[in-house]
Amino acid sequence: MDGDGTAEILDRLREVLRDSAVEERDWDAVAPVTTIESLGFDSLTILDVLYDVEEEFGIALDPKQVVKTRTVGEIIALLQQNGA
Amino acid sequence: MLHLLEYWAARLALLGVDLLPPAAASRWAGWLGVLWWTADRPRRRVATSNILRAGFAADLAEARAIGRAAACHMGIVLVESLKSALVLDDPDRVQVGIPDDVQAVLDDPDRGLIVVSGHFGNWELAGQWLSRYKPVAGISRPMNNPRVQELALSRRPRREFRMIPKYDADPGRFIRLLGDGEILALLVDQHARRGVEVPFFGHPAKTHTTAAMLHLVTRAPLCFATCRRTAPMTFELTLSPLIEQERTGNRSADVEAILLTLNTHLEEAIRRDPDQYLWGHRRWR
Repeated sequence: MDGDGTAEILDRLREVLRDSAVEERDWDAVAPVTTIESLGFDSLTILDVLYDVEEEFGIALDPKQVVKTRTVGEIIALLQQNGA
Repeated sequence: MLHLLEYWAARLALLGVDLLPPAAASRWAGWLGVLWWTADRPRRRVATSNILRAGFAADLAEARAIGRAAACHMGIVLVESLKSALVLDDPDRVQVGIPDDVQAVLDDPDRGLIVVSGHFGNWELAGQWLSRYKPVAGISRPMNNPRVQELALSRRPRREFRMIPKYDADPGRFIRLLGDGEILALLVDQHARRGVEVPFFGHPAKTHTTAAMLHLVTRAPLCFATCRRTAPMTFELTLSPLIEQERTGNRSADVEAILLTLNTHLEEAIRRDPDQYLWGHRRWR
């Protein structure tokens, strides 16, 4: 998983989630198989996270692609496809 | 028991609305609004306090006069919403002002639009009218009385206008809706516990961030709408030019800039017609 930079992206993603989320949670336990649904975001808080993710990685994601993702791993793949 | 009483009171009010022609029904509903103003002392105090704080009245008597007129207005809004087909089916009843940049978005089936307003004029009629361009989804909080809510929903003509709940388990629903080229209609003038403080008539007011964040994240176009009554069952629907905010990387600053613009638009509308605003909400807490 480390060869393509996935581990580094996951670490940065965890930091963004830690900073953006309203709820307290064990963000270190977030893994590629973790489902987005289980992270407890709603239709309002997810927007804060998306803004912060884009700023952290310096890229613009297609919102329609983002809402199709179901796991953290799929988010990481989307970030990689967009040059992260 | 209270819910049951409210339900039957609503049914009684609707009976009057149904039996009377529109002009008389409006007078009936305006009278009910004034009755509510007279009876609901706590709400009356909130309204007069808000009117004074916003700088619309020099003294309590003047604030009460504005509040009473606004309560009458809200009663009439109810009738207009229930009989909205009369307005929506008659192009002479709505004078529309849409800037070219907003019109281009409305004409493009692939582009979603965020339309923001406040509890001013007849906001619901604005949503129903705009649904002739694209499907409109308005965000609503469920009424405290489910019986009255069911009654209200069953009575209003909807066209391509639908209400969606404020809270839902699906985090992507607003983004998906805009991606599908629909209009998302939001009201931004209710106290937002988790919102950010933005001046409203010069006083900090906790304001919902959803519209601003959706614009920043989805890049969906954003505008402000007002629908003011100019004569009985006749309106002026005005949309602002597109509000555009470049992202600076400072989320809070970006959101505040957008919300300040939205509040400024709402303030301008209220300054023109203070008796068409819902003053009875505790906006400043």
